[in-house]
Amino acid sequence: MAKVLMKGNEAIGEAAIRAGCRNFFGYPITPQSEVPEYLSRRFPEVGGTYVQAESEVAAINMLYGGAGVGKRVLTTSSSPGISLMSEGISYIAACELPVVLVNIVRGGPGLGGILPAQSDYHQATRGIGHGDFRLLVLAPASVQEAVNLIYEAFDLADRYRNPVLILGDGMIGQMMEPVEFPPMRPLDSLPEKPWAATGMKDRPQNVINSLYLNEHELNAHNFKLKAKYDQVAREQVRFETWRCDGDLDVLVVAFGTMARIVKTALADFNAAGGRGGVFRPITLWPYPHEQLRETARRAKKVLVIEMNTGQMIDDVRMALGPDREVGFFGRTGGVVPTPDDVLAAIGEVTGKGAAR
Amino acid sequence: MDEALRYRPRNRLLIIVGNFGSGKTEVAVNLALDLARSQSVCIADLDLVNPYFRCREAQEEMEALGIRVVYPKGEYRAADLPILLPEVRGAVGDPERLAILDVGGDDAGARVLSALADTIVAREHDLLMVVNANRPFTADVPGCARMKEAIESSSRLRVTGVISNTHLMEETDAGTVRAGITLARSFAASEGIRFECAVADRGRAEELAAEGERGPFLVIERKMLPPWLTRGATAGSGWFRRGA
Repeated sequence: MAKVLMKGNEAIGEAAIRAGCRNFFGYPITPQSEVPEYLSRRFPEVGGTYVQAESEVAAINMLYGGAGVGKRVLTTSSSPGISLMSEGISYIAACELPVVLVNIVRGGPGLGGILPAQSDYHQATRGIGHGDFRLLVLAPASVQEAVNLIYEAFDLADRYRNPVLILGDGMIGQMMEPVEFPPMRPLDSLPEKPWAATGMKDRPQNVINSLYLNEHELNAHNFKLKAKYDQVAREQVRFETWRCDGDLDVLVVAFGTMARIVKTALADFNAAGGRGGVFRPITLWPYPHEQLRETARRAKKVLVIEMNTGQMIDDVRMALGPDREVGFFGRTGGVVPTPDDVLAAIGEVTGKGAAR
Repeated sequence: MDEALRYRPRNRLLIIVGNFGSGKTEVAVNLALDLARSQSVCIADLDLVNPYFRCREAQEEMEALGIRVVYPKGEYRAADLPILLPEVRGAVGDPERLAILDVGGDDAGARVLSALADTIVAREHDLLMVVNANRPFTADVPGCARMKEAIESSSRLRVTGVISNTHLMEETDAGTVRAGITLARSFAASEGIRFECAVADRGRAEELAAEGERGPFLVIERKMLPPWLTRGATAGSGWFRRGA
């Protein structure tokens, strides 16, 4: 298929259609509103159902229902909207329902701003709702990668019967890049869901509910979920290394679009005789702790760069242990570090001239 | 590039419309920079619907060339608020300066024009629709026609010309531009409007001119860049800037 030029948000919508998703429930919020805009236009052409809910709280509960009857369902939002969905996401994880969520992150906390940020890392990987559960969290760095990850996210959600979150930032949502789409998934090729509440007929009753008043049953349910998350952690860790061969002056750890800015800066650093590489986690949960530890062994310095005041750095510290010094550079609220800012931070950590 | 192939608009009030992501802002900014070499130019950022990639981002470069840039200043610069400045009406009605209105995408973005329609129709103007054939919904003549009709009905104005802006970012070759010109010409012919010009970077435009393509061409340099394509930018607010 020929390449087309798509905004990230539009591409996310089209990739969901290609993956066999025909149900979207959501509420507009900058900078992700083009996803509902696009789907409200495209869904009628492919027989999909687009519902603009009265709020994010309503939307996430519509997802709960849609996933419960076995449909591939999607919602997209941005930071404050995701916070509103928190309770419903916990219910969905508790009921082991496959849904795909997208957070196109904007500056926070609170109402914050509308420009790109990565300040929902903790929320995505640690605290998106109450209780003992995990989301698979995937962080694309380009529009094409967003398409590929969304397409796959529906399969991952079905395979593990768990919510999958795509964590992008305002740049992923808003920028235009050439993309190629995977083929349209025939709806009759989607996996069977014998657990879904589709009308019982002559099979045993399927119940979708997260209330366990018996403490032993709830305890057992939590350990069943835990075993599933352990399996995900064994099977789904993804990351990219860039210019990480041999010994390094500096290993920069960055995710999403930030990693692209770091690559531009490191290309200059390396051209001037430095040796720098990027470690980019693609799954933020499960985090590639072991792979990072291995790669960092060959680096004199480790520097974390994020569009927040330091969140993923917790995972980097967890990977590298307390004896390893970890540098940090960050900007927030829509201030995106430039390649020159990054080069200066690298210069400070390595003591190697950042001057151009 | 041969001067004879260079795009010269016939009117002094140019309103740039088109679907979301068709490249209106790149076209408007590059057109303003080109025309400012020979005359007094004002550009108004009328994108009220999307807070990203608006022409206010290229403000410094334009003001350095004496172009008057009208957009909400101060704390509202990065707001997603529907602010329509009274200066816009002034710019539309000012015969001293060539005025370019950079309008928001789709029919939703063009709706703001209906509030200005009375002032606009009082002056000789062109409503120019930017088309990128690689964007969803405007890949063929019927798609372009639907977009044109939606923009006309929400703006209460008539599209008078089409600007071919078909590209694939860094992956654009002469064939990409040529295919876009073919689409734009058929669209213009079927709607009875003018084919205004083809947009391309210098390399692509010269390649096509050498093949005998008569254009005219608006030769552009990309102004709206993601941060990883900018070098030599200084620290500060905003999340993309001009390349060094």
